[in-house]
Amino acid sequence: MKKLIAVISLVLAQLLFVSTVSAQATNSNQLSDPRVRQALCMAIDMELIKSTLFEDQIIVADSLLPNGPMKSPNLPDYSYNPEKAKALLAEANWDNDRVLDTVFYYGDQLTSDLMAAIQGMFADVGVKMTYRLLQGDVGAQLNSVPEDGVNGPAAVDYDLGYGARGAMVMQEYYNTFKTGLNPQTPGNPKMDAMIEKINSSADPEVLKPYFFEIQEYQMNEVNICPLYYQKLFIYESDNVDRNGGAYGNAQYNYNWDITNWKVNTGTMQTNTGPTEFFEQPWYNLGLWIHNKIVFDRLLVSGGAIGTDIGVSMAESYEMSADGLNLSFKLKPGLKWHDGTDLTVKDVAFSLRLAMKSPQMHALVGNTVSSIVGAEAFANGSTDDVSGIKYNIANREISIEFAKLDPNVLTTFTQFAILPESQLAGIDPAQLQQHPFWQFPIGSGAFKLEEVKMNDFAKFVPNEDYHGGVANFDVLAYPSYDGDGNLIKNAAAGKMDYGFTKNVADVGALNAMSNMMTKAVDIPYTRMLWIMQYPKP
Amino acid sequence: MIFVISFLVYFGLDLTPGDAVSHMISPELAATITPEKLEAMREAYGLNATFLERYWIWLTSCLKGDFGYSMAGGVAIKDIMVKTIPATLELSIVALIISTILGCSLGILSALKKGSATDSGLTVAGMAGVSIPEFFFALVAILIFGMHFQWLPVGGRLLPHYETLLDRIPNIIMPSMVLALALTAGAMRYSRSSMLDVLSREFIKTARSKGLPEWRINILHGFRVALTPVVVLIGFRLPLLIGGSTIIEQVFQWPGIGNMFIRSVRASDYPLVMMISLMYVFVVLTASLLIDLLTALIDPRVRLGKE
Repeated sequence: MKKLIAVISLVLAQLLFVSTVSAQATNSNQLSDPRVRQALCMAIDMELIKSTLFEDQIIVADSLLPNGPMKSPNLPDYSYNPEKAKALLAEANWDNDRVLDTVFYYGDQLTSDLMAAIQGMFADVGVKMTYRLLQGDVGAQLNSVPEDGVNGPAAVDYDLGYGARGAMVMQEYYNTFKTGLNPQTPGNPKMDAMIEKINSSADPEVLKPYFFEIQEYQMNEVNICPLYYQKLFIYESDNVDRNGGAYGNAQYNYNWDITNWKVNTGTMQTNTGPTEFFEQPWYNLGLWIHNKIVFDRLLVSGGAIGTDIGVSMAESYEMSADGLNLSFKLKPGLKWHDGTDLTVKDVAFSLRLAMKSPQMHALVGNTVSSIVGAEAFANGSTDDVSGIKYNIANREISIEFAKLDPNVLTTFTQFAILPESQLAGIDPAQLQQHPFWQFPIGSGAFKLEEVKMNDFAKFVPNEDYHGGVANFDVLAYPSYDGDGNLIKNAAAGKMDYGFTKNVADVGALNAMSNMMTKAVDIPYTRMLWIMQYPKP
Repeated sequence: MIFVISFLVYFGLDLTPGDAVSHMISPELAATITPEKLEAMREAYGLNATFLERYWIWLTSCLKGDFGYSMAGGVAIKDIMVKTIPATLELSIVALIISTILGCSLGILSALKKGSATDSGLTVAGMAGVSIPEFFFALVAILIFGMHFQWLPVGGRLLPHYETLLDRIPNIIMPSMVLALALTAGAMRYSRSSMLDVLSREFIKTARSKGLPEWRINILHGFRVALTPVVVLIGFRLPLLIGGSTIIEQVFQWPGIGNMFIRSVRASDYPLVMMISLMYVFVVLTASLLIDLLTALIDPRVRLGKE
């Protein structure tokens, strides 16, 4: 018995020692101490912030990943506990004179109010904090990574950063934590290995335990302090009836069955019309109305992006068991809006153009760069991409990948196919500057009929559309989420459909008798980034 | 003068944080784009050259008649200006006409009724018009006429079914009236004081002694002379209107040059900002010259080159 007690005591002592060793600062920056990071998370009363500033229109976050099948059931609890926070700070010998420099890049009042609330809550546990809005080259000031991705020092100068990570696929949340890619968190082999695992398969069931593992690890380390999951709100006027069409993540493209919608007046008015040009559709994949209705994709996703994937322009598709070969067969009779044939040659052209174009969504960029021969083509050493083969007569294209892209099918639900006949010979670095974007031609459910830049764009049904012909027009005005014109236009009966993430808009829209809003959970996490590298 | 101003504007723009690429790539997406790709974009847009090199390239291109392209969308700047200037001119000219007619009429009325309740009321209204910012009037007008009664459109200039000038009238009423409001107040105060000054002159007494009807004395003798300072004021208003309608264009979603200027400044779109700035400079300098000439034409005392 004595031996058993001795052994248990020894094991406990070792565990305590290990715990003590890991729970301390790893460099001169006190924020490298996990106890300090835990304390900061516990000092923030997100439930109070939710019910006051956000009018209960957010979900309090407990990890980077949104709620859903990939959420681990074993995450540590960092809910509001100021006493525990004080104790952890005392244990970590927190320097009470240190003032945490917090940066953010949203210029709205709500963000300033949130910063003020967090400042007050930190003060309650004895942590001083200031905050400032980043301006100018925000990306460089926020995201520059240190030359030494393990020991630092940091390449950017702040202690905390408030920002968001919006993702279509769950890997996007963690891939930037790979050694050498993260501006705040030093890399380590354990994290790198876990990142490899979550990118190792296209099967969600295979990946689920890996996501659990990486989530638990990250939240135990508290590399970031998750604050809340933002919701997206779709609003519609009583002029519009979706006729059973699904509601989904409207920032992207999903199967919303727009050709079957009923619009009483015959014209659906919306925002996100162009001001100077139509933005090319590979960057903000579904943000603009023309992204969704003028262009078409090979595949289509369900409302939760990446789920219920089906065909759109493709008649069928086939992926090899190892995920390294993907082939599509196009539906017959596909046409561009100018009446010319849409063929697999256009698909190949679009993929090649995307390999060289810099202004690209990460999801698309990752897929096209994974194609065999993409690197040589992108750096100019070859004129063609060996991994892309097609047969126009058979309407077939096959794509071979050099490495597994677990989200390749999701990419093809978002990747708009562009017409080679219009864009051949373009300088990929200046894709957006091509005159095509003054009056784009696509293959989607609606075609552009008239545009007065910065005034309106009118789209009419595409009578050749493979998915049916809508019986209404779309009129888009140049107004955007948060620009103040949404509410004005909606109140004046000039807004039938759109989406917003602004909770103040939601209250105003719900107060209008002709408008309704529908909340959609989206993978969009707001958080505090915590600088763990030593100061520059 | 234009060269100096162009250099100062370019220099000022260069001092602002960020560039066109940092505007094009959002902070969230910047985290996922490699520095090499960002560098390639900056190289493609010529942003890696030094300040003086960029200014020199811009200046020499301008002198050759090549005004360049908007960085954000690659549209030729002359095309952007051709599309936006008419919208601003349309709004400004309508506002100027309204404010001139209303301002002069009310100013004369105020002067003729000096000391009366009408005069006091108009004076108070004038002070309010000058003091209260335009955007406040704009929001109140939108609230009442656009949202509550829904008599007028809340914004925009054109719609697909607009074919004639008449179709567009409802869209221009609110922005032009709001823009005209502050101008009316100014013109009214000027007209009133100028008219009062003229009415106390000897030649008015002479006209009265001749038994001329009062309206003839006031309008043909009085107002005509009182017009000189008002014309100068109105002349200076046109360039100010072109530059000063920015806020109204924003509130009413009017697709004019002011709206575009704000967007281009936010986007650090140097070529576009430079050309719009220079256009403002050119318009102001030209208007000053025209006013000098016009003043000399109206007032015989202001003849250039004569003793």
